[in-house]
Amino acid sequence: MSVIDDILSEKDPEKIRKETETNYREYLNPFVLRMFKNAGLDIIEGRREGASVWDVTGDKYIDCVTGAGIFNVGRHNREITDALKKALDVYDMGGWISIIRERGLLAKKLAEITPGNLKYSLFCCGGGEAVEVAVKLARGHTGKTEIICMENGYHGVTGFALPATGREVYKKPFAPLAPGYTHVTFNDINAVKAAITKDTAAVLLEPVQGEGGIRPADDSYLSGLRKLCTDNEILLIFDEVQTGFGRTGKMFCAEHSGVVPDIMVLAKSMSGGLYPISCAVFTEEISDFLIAHPFIIINSFGGTSLACLVALATIEFIEKNNLPERAAKMGKRFMEGLSSLKITYGELVVDVRGKGLMLGIEFPEESIGPRMASLLKKNGVISIYTFNNPRIIRIMPSLVITEEEVDFVVEAFEKSLKEIRAQESERKSKKG
Amino acid sequence: MATSDEIMEALADFKEQCNSNKRLRRMQRDWTKVLHYVAFDTGDKFTMTVKEGEIISNESSAAGTPDVIIEGESETLCNMFWGDINPTQMYLKGEIKVKGTQEDIMRIDAITAIIWPEV
Repeated sequence: MSVIDDILSEKDPEKIRKETETNYREYLNPFVLRMFKNAGLDIIEGRREGASVWDVTGDKYIDCVTGAGIFNVGRHNREITDALKKALDVYDMGGWISIIRERGLLAKKLAEITPGNLKYSLFCCGGGEAVEVAVKLARGHTGKTEIICMENGYHGVTGFALPATGREVYKKPFAPLAPGYTHVTFNDINAVKAAITKDTAAVLLEPVQGEGGIRPADDSYLSGLRKLCTDNEILLIFDEVQTGFGRTGKMFCAEHSGVVPDIMVLAKSMSGGLYPISCAVFTEEISDFLIAHPFIIINSFGGTSLACLVALATIEFIEKNNLPERAAKMGKRFMEGLSSLKITYGELVVDVRGKGLMLGIEFPEESIGPRMASLLKKNGVISIYTFNNPRIIRIMPSLVITEEEVDFVVEAFEKSLKEIRAQESERKSKKG
Repeated sequence: MATSDEIMEALADFKEQCNSNKRLRRMQRDWTKVLHYVAFDTGDKFTMTVKEGEIISNESSAAGTPDVIIEGESETLCNMFWGDINPTQMYLKGEIKVKGTQEDIMRIDAITAIIWPEV
C-alpha cells in the first residue's frame, strides 16, 4: 500500500485525531495546537463541500473563515477538481524557463476581467510574493524608493511585503527590514498627502482592510488617492488578495469606486482552493521595466501550467455562476440578519460592516472575539477574529453559500451572543 | 475566596518557576511589561513587573501604568498562579477578563504552556 492509500484509507476518527495531535505537538508547533484546543477550534478537516467542512468525526460546520478568502468557489469544488484531474493527465507543472501556453491564456483572461488598463501579469505562488513583485515594479518603474502603506494593513510576511504590513508584532523580531516604508492612517487622504515626498514610488493599500478588522475604504478616499497619485507621478497599488474574484459583490473591489490602480495584487481565491497561484497585474507603462529587465523577477513555481489551468477554471466557474452578484445578495441577507442582532444585543455588538461576503462584527472588547469564535464552533460555525484586531469576528464564507446557510450562521451568532450575555450577567452578579 | 497573602504566595511560586526556566527566559526575552491583577470579589490588586522575560517583582498593590490588566475572582487568580487551571480556558469562559493586546494575552498563555504543559 502506498503512503497516499494508507492516509486516505484511514477512517478511524480517534486514530486520526491522536496521530495528528501528536504530530503537531512533536513536529510542528505545540502552542498552535494548544491555542486551537483551548479555543475549541481543534477541528481536523475531513470532508469539504460547498460552504461547509466536516470534522473527521463527521460534525458539520459552515466555514466562515475560508482561509481569509481562499475558497470563493466553495470547498473542494468538483468542477475545478475535475479540471485539475484532466490537466494532471496531460501536464506536469511546466518549466519556468519555457514558454507556457496556459500562462499566456490566463494573463489574457486577467487583462479582460481586471478593471481599466491593467493588462500585463507576473505570476507567483502566494499573496506576499505578489506584493513583493508590486513593490519591486513600483521601485523599478519609478526609480523612486518610498512606499506609503496603511496602519493595520496586512500584505503578508515575506521580504519586501513584511515591511508594508502595518503592525509591529510581525516585524520586530526580524529587524532590520527593507527600508523605505511609511505607514499612515487608513481612510485619511490628508495623512497620505502629508507623507508624500519626492522619493515616493507608490501608495499600497487593501480596498477593504481584512486583518485590520474588515474596514472598507471610502469611495471618495480611493478616488482622492487616484488623483493624488496621478498628480504626483506615484503608483497606486491595490492589494486585492482577500477582496478579489467576487468576494465583495463585484469581480474586483476596485469596481465599487471605479478607481483603477496601476498595479493590482491577486492571490488566494484565484487558486480555486486547489493549486497555489498569485499575481501582480499592471499597466503597459509599468511593463516597460520588465522589457528592459525581463528576468529580474523570476519564480520557479509561479504560473505553472497546472496553476494557470486551475485559475482559468476558477474564473470560468465564478463567471458562469455569477458569484459576484451572489456575494452581493447573500451579503445583504447577512447584513440584515446581523444588524438586527446589533439592535437586540446592543451592549455586545458595536458595529456590523463590510462589502458583499466580506463582513465583520465588532465587539466592545478584545476578549469577546475569541469567546465568540469558541461559541460559534459549538453552534456549527467556524469563524475567527481578524489577526490585527481581535475585537472583530470575520465572516467570509464561500460565495456559493445558500440562503438557508446564511440564516443558519446568523442564528448561530444569536445563540452565541445570548450565551455571552448570560456569562457577563453571571459575572456581574458575582462581582456584586 | 483567596486572601491577598495567599495570592502573593502563589505569585512568588509563579515567579520562581518562570525565572528558573531557561527555555522560558530565552523565549520571552523581548517581553517587558507591567501586569496588574485585580481580584474583583475582594478588591485586592497586584502588580507583576516583567523585564526582558524575567519577573523582577510582585507587589500587593496596583503600581505603575499597566500594559495588561487581568481581572477575575481571587480564587481563580490564585489557582491560575499555582497552575491548577488553564487561564485561556477561563478567559474563553469569561471567568477572567484581560485588557491588553492579543499578543500579550498569547504571551501569558505561552508562559503557562511552558511551565505547566499538562494543564
